Amino acid sequence: MNAETSQHRPALSHLFFWFLFANGGGLTALVLPVHILVQGILGPLAIVPVVDQHQDTWINILGNPLVKLYLLALIAFAFFHFAHRLRYLLVDFGLHAAKGVPGQVIFYGGAVLVTLIAVWVLLTTAPIKLG
Amino acid sequence: MPAGWWLRKRHYVLYIVREFTALPMALWLLWLLYDVKSAGAGPSAFQPPRSIGFVVFSAVCLAFATYHSYTFLKLAGVIIHVKLFDRPVPPTVIVLTMFGLWALASIAIGAVLIGFAR
Repeated sequence: MNAETSQHRPALSHLFFWFLFANGGGLTALVLPVHILVQGILGPLAIVPVVDQHQDTWINILGNPLVKLYLLALIAFAFFHFAHRLRYLLVDFGLHAAKGVPGQVIFYGGAVLVTLIAVWVLLTTAPIKLG
Repeated sequence: MPAGWWLRKRHYVLYIVREFTALPMALWLLWLLYDVKSAGAGPSAFQPPRSIGFVVFSAVCLAFATYHSYTFLKLAGVIIHVKLFDRPVPPTVIVLTMFGLWALASIAIGAVLIGFAR
């Protein structure tokens, strides 16, 4: 491999993190406000009936594999997006150490940890029901 | 840069607010994960979220989440470049499509959250 081709090697790690960042940002932008509005405000104020206000309806819908997959994708992508934004927020506030490897380990490691917890919660909370 | 650089211009403040939206959204999603987990505690132990403190917390998170949606989807016109019949799609059309998708997704998810309740 000569010098010219090595200079033009694709930055795969950047591609990977930008994929997670962009999808997390897009997914949260499209779906998170309605979750907060319905489950966080309208349901608790009893303005409309909401699925998580009763244990039987909540556990029933959580048993659907598509719901589990959706919640996992939402949480996992969102936390990689949050990790990236919060890391650079600290850099903007003058904490340049957040740009280094320890910062990456803390923030993206945190996103991995939340993803693993989400997998565990979704697999252990409600038995998967097909049909 | 001095500590309060972001307070000098409205544009900088809005940029920092946009970046900060990640924190309240993360906190609300952590609560959602807790809500999912608590469903497994059984009917007698399950405590539905109904406190006024939680509603206030959600209202604050909703303001930040909506600002994130507005800023992120508006950026789509700058980031996404697509061609239709060999002609580039204007950024305004892309942004309007994204906002339309936001409305559709909100209606669909709202319908599921309310429709499967009792």
